[in-house]
Amino acid sequence: METPTAPLLFDSSFLAKLEQLYLLSKKLFRGAHRAERRSRQVGSSLEFADYRNYTLGDDLRSIDWNIYGRLDRLFIKLFEQEQDLDISFLLDASASMRWSPEGSGRLSKFDQGRRIAASLAYIGLANLDRVNVHYFASRLEEDLGLCRGKSQFHKVLEFLRNAPALEGQTQLLPSLRTFAQRMKRRGLVFVLSDLFDAQGFEEGLALLRYQQFEVHVIHLLDPAEVRPTATGDLRLIESETGEAYEVTASESLLRRYHAEVDAFLTRASTFCTEHGIGYAQATTEVPFEDLVLRVLRDGRMIQ
Amino acid sequence: MTFLNVWAAGFLGIVPVIVLLYLLKLKRRPLPVSTLLFWQRILQESRRRSFFQKLRQLFSLLLHLLIFALILGALAHPTLDRQISEGASTVLVVDTRARMQATEPDGQTRFTKAQARAREVVRQASSLRQMAMITVDASARVVTPFTDDEKALRENLGKVSATDASGDLNRAVDLASELLASRSGARRIIVFTDRIPDPKPANTADIPVDFVTVGTARDNLAITRFATRPVLNSPQTSEVLLEVANFGQAPAKTNVELAYDGQLLDVKPLAIEPGGHVVQVFPTVPRPSNNARGWLTARLDTNDALAADNTAYAVLPVEPPKRILLVSKGNWFLEKLLAADQSVAFELLTPDGYSAAIAAKFDAVVFDNFVPADLNLASASGNFFFIKQTPFNAQEPVIDQPLISDLDSRHPALRLVNLQNITLLRAAPLSLPKTEGWNWQAPIRSFDHPLMITGEHQGGAPRVAALALDIGDSDLPLRVAFPLLISNTLHWLIGEETVSVLNRRAGESLPLATGESVQIEPLTPWKKEAARAPKPPTARELFQPLANGFYAWQTHDGQRWLAVNTFSEMESNLRAANAASAESLTLPAVSLTRLAGWPLWQYLAAAALLLFGLEWWLFHRRRTE
Repeated sequence: METPTAPLLFDSSFLAKLEQLYLLSKKLFRGAHRAERRSRQVGSSLEFADYRNYTLGDDLRSIDWNIYGRLDRLFIKLFEQEQDLDISFLLDASASMRWSPEGSGRLSKFDQGRRIAASLAYIGLANLDRVNVHYFASRLEEDLGLCRGKSQFHKVLEFLRNAPALEGQTQLLPSLRTFAQRMKRRGLVFVLSDLFDAQGFEEGLALLRYQQFEVHVIHLLDPAEVRPTATGDLRLIESETGEAYEVTASESLLRRYHAEVDAFLTRASTFCTEHGIGYAQATTEVPFEDLVLRVLRDGRMIQ
Repeated sequence: MTFLNVWAAGFLGIVPVIVLLYLLKLKRRPLPVSTLLFWQRILQESRRRSFFQKLRQLFSLLLHLLIFALILGALAHPTLDRQISEGASTVLVVDTRARMQATEPDGQTRFTKAQARAREVVRQASSLRQMAMITVDASARVVTPFTDDEKALRENLGKVSATDASGDLNRAVDLASELLASRSGARRIIVFTDRIPDPKPANTADIPVDFVTVGTARDNLAITRFATRPVLNSPQTSEVLLEVANFGQAPAKTNVELAYDGQLLDVKPLAIEPGGHVVQVFPTVPRPSNNARGWLTARLDTNDALAADNTAYAVLPVEPPKRILLVSKGNWFLEKLLAADQSVAFELLTPDGYSAAIAAKFDAVVFDNFVPADLNLASASGNFFFIKQTPFNAQEPVIDQPLISDLDSRHPALRLVNLQNITLLRAAPLSLPKTEGWNWQAPIRSFDHPLMITGEHQGGAPRVAALALDIGDSDLPLRVAFPLLISNTLHWLIGEETVSVLNRRAGESLPLATGESVQIEPLTPWKKEAARAPKPPTARELFQPLANGFYAWQTHDGQRWLAVNTFSEMESNLRAANAASAESLTLPAVSLTRLAGWPLWQYLAAAALLLFGLEWWLFHRRRTE
């Protein structure tokens, strides 16, 4: 069942905690502006990078006179160039993400995903990274556009708040392919989805990886779809297609269902690990702040 | 195998309903889910096995039908023929005759005591000792066929009650012997009564008959006769005869109250010697009229052992006036006579207006000096009375001043008629016809010449009378004999000497004609509450009243009333009672080589229960759907 959109609210203490965090990237990407993220380029930050021999035309201020005193040779002291990073959030906005079991009182996966995306975006903006948010379902939809600096956080929130209700089934491969083609700079990509793609999630994620993106998957799940308890003669109605499926659910059938879901989760986790993709499960029963401050940190996505 | 409850087969009609219900689509609970991916994957294998799925459904249906069949089987109460034939068979004969209503000094009736004793024996019923039950009042009837069902026997015994009827115990013993004749194994008849018949019933089949007697000898006063008859010379009154008997050992004094339509009419004291009878006549009881219906009740003012014979019921007949057609050119005497007779309603017609169609509407037709030209007695269906000119006039000269030489005073037309010293001026000589199928008589003769001829067809109707006198040529109209002769002849023609059936003994059968019915419960007809009460069920073919009282009888001529009484010295004589049997009757143990245990229906019921449990278990584990 779809739930009405929950307001995106962040208190100041939580935002203060977020400011202490940093989105981890294993790779070093070339940035466009100076920022607070290390890059391969040598620049003028305070972080020492290396030495090299002095050549004509070098700035005399860069010569390390201490080395000259000891070795009687001229060396130039190199400092790292801190650059910004492109961080993209790909948020699954399909109907399955908006579903939540009737009467549970929990947030939908989509709401949970929006909050996580907002939090991570805040971290990125606080670190002067360039942040963009994309929605997708069966294809990639409009995006926020690149934002930089904390002042843009309200723009991110506004975009997340006015999320479109997309129709159609989740199709990761065409959506991620479009994303890879659209993005000129490589960077950090957070895919927030339940990965319920009938064609499989693997190809799409592998494509991003192949396109040199550093990918993190935040696997959003609802406990009711991981461990359903309803038994009896049921007429299951899928939220995405409206397709009905008649099932007589018994304890043994539920056990088989649990095993199938477990296998799916294991497959997703193993695939991500094998392909160097960050993976974290985020169920809607876990409080949102816990999720951001503990689970994502444990998943080595933030520091 | 024998099915004791064949009616259970009627439930087979439910089978199509079960199948139909099974075919109805199951209503499933809708449940929205985020994805069907996992459900489809795990059920793909199940769908592939749809053939086995169908088999599973079929198995479930078969299981349901099997459970239903087992329940039906249990209801039908199957009994193995071997079980029936080899086990012990006992027939219980319960006496429900009127005497069993007698109250004992402890306040219980003999029937209640007999019932209790019978219940003790019924407890010993089992599949190895089958029992049947017969009740006996006016007739013997099987209340419960052979069964091992103690509950059914007990229930049927509880429903039985003592009646007001008299009967013969030997008939029940004979019926019991017939029931037992086809059965092997130990056989026995047990009779629960207050009196062993003397002589004891002849036992042709060597079946032991045990008598369990209840009750003690008691004094009793009883009405043994209560009858009414019309007073011929007073059409407005009836005579009522009452006979009371004392079956006690001491002289008895009591009052008898006669009530008319529920209102006390007369009270008379009676003193009766031991073993004696007293007859009391109430001579002037009014006959029914517009305001009085004629329900008579006689009640003895006594509180003796048997109450059923202390009250008697009788009904005075209500006969509508008979329709008489007088075809005459004018006969002052006849017209005045018929007008004065309240038992007839006459109409006058001149000979010119006569036709057979008109005559057919009347009970009798009086032709005064007129014989219709087209009259054919052989094919006539009405009753005719010819005066002066008759179809039987002989071709002889008129007899002058004939003398009446022969008078058959036994003939109904001449009852109380005195024709001595009567002066007849002349008479036409008649000749007795010789029509086949008719019985002709000449109750009045003048030597060789019949002066009056009566004839009736075989079967009693139609009837014809002919009087060869001219009433005006004699002094007959001035004599008392004249109205008697005419009235007697008319009532004989109509056939009123047949007494209408208005009284019956309890237990006596009353065959009902098509369209007739009798309400099977006695009523208190003069009470308004009874009129407002819902009508009890009615009997339509044969009515056998077993309780004393008044019964509403719907006939083609309207509603009549039937009075039912016990009137049996055998029932009322309570001195003739055997000493009560002291110890309870224990039936000998039955030893058969086969396994003992529960009756077959209990095994079937247990199997149905077991399968029901299995089905429940399978269903909840989704083995069946």
